[in-house]
Amino acid sequence: MKKIISHVAFGLLGLSVSAAVVAGPAEDRAAFQKFYENRFPDTPVADFQNGVYSILPAAREQWEAIEEFPPYELSIERGEEIYNKTFANGKSMASCFGDDGAVRGQYPYWDRDRGMVVTMELAINECLEANGEKPLKYKKGAIADVGAFMSFNSRGQKVNVEIPSDDPRALAAYENGKEHFYTKRGQLNFACADCHMYTAGNLYRADTTSPAFGHATSWPVFRSKWQSMGTLHRRFAGCHNNIRANPYKAQGEEYRNLEYFVTYMSNDLEYNGPAARK
Amino acid sequence: MKHGLKVIAVGLALAVPSAFAGNGTTAEHIEAATAAYKKVAKETSYQWTVTVKAIKAAQKALDAGDDKAARELAHHAMALVEATRTQAKLESENWKMRVPK
Repeated sequence: MKKIISHVAFGLLGLSVSAAVVAGPAEDRAAFQKFYENRFPDTPVADFQNGVYSILPAAREQWEAIEEFPPYELSIERGEEIYNKTFANGKSMASCFGDDGAVRGQYPYWDRDRGMVVTMELAINECLEANGEKPLKYKKGAIADVGAFMSFNSRGQKVNVEIPSDDPRALAAYENGKEHFYTKRGQLNFACADCHMYTAGNLYRADTTSPAFGHATSWPVFRSKWQSMGTLHRRFAGCHNNIRANPYKAQGEEYRNLEYFVTYMSNDLEYNGPAARK
Repeated sequence: MKHGLKVIAVGLALAVPSAFAGNGTTAEHIEAATAAYKKVAKETSYQWTVTVKAIKAAQKALDAGDDKAARELAHHAMALVEATRTQAKLESENWKMRVPK
């Protein structure tokens, strides 16, 4: 009997040690969100969805003024037209995403059948191709317009990305995105975490870097720098160019996994796209 | 003393990629830098934009007949490739230190 008890005790000890050493996605997210709450104690948690404006009061006033006549408004209208346009086969995007396309909160998700992360932009193109239509380019233009329409109708939906615990491939995709986020790249030797975590809120030349917590909620965005709409993967590529690293392919596996990780880190915030950013 | 010099000489020989150790043509040096860039990209997925620019600039200088500048640029590109390889090697483990606990 004593032997059994000691075996059980030893087993429990082993379990607790391994849990402390190997943090899972839930522990990662708790530590990630706690980091930003400690770094920016004056920012209400729900406000991190507003990017750099959640930590920069002066810029926030300008941004709120911009939001009164949002520069993405025309994009939403163009997106609605594209969304409702009848395909050659008589259907439209509504056949894939419903009448209003308010499905932002369902993406990105882990597709168990195909063993891959599916983003909303990927799903839009898959819908087009399945109906015999030509796919859209992934970084800007029509894909951002359709995304703006769908995101606008999805405002207020909670970010609720799931990493299925019974599919190790999903965890591997998450870990791949996590590694990407924390890995230094390019000649300037920067990781996503360097700018958007450990020095978030600092000035890089004239720009303040935004917190990564909330990064994935507001896309597509109208960037003043671009003077146009763009997708999250357009921004990923821009960041990589800034640090002199070759960007990866938009909607390729690397960026989809990065989106999976970054979005999961923002679970419980609300989707609030499209948005205006500097 | 002699032993020390030998060690330095061997070290330098190892530090210089084989294609650069001999007197190969500048075109060969550019080819070597290009091949090394592709090899590192394939093995690590790390690629720097500046390396491609340096290789293109080297080719452009060679085409314009400026052999000296072309050779220097090819060597610069190779140095960037080596730095990329080192970054990939270091980051394969170091990234874990940045994950908040």
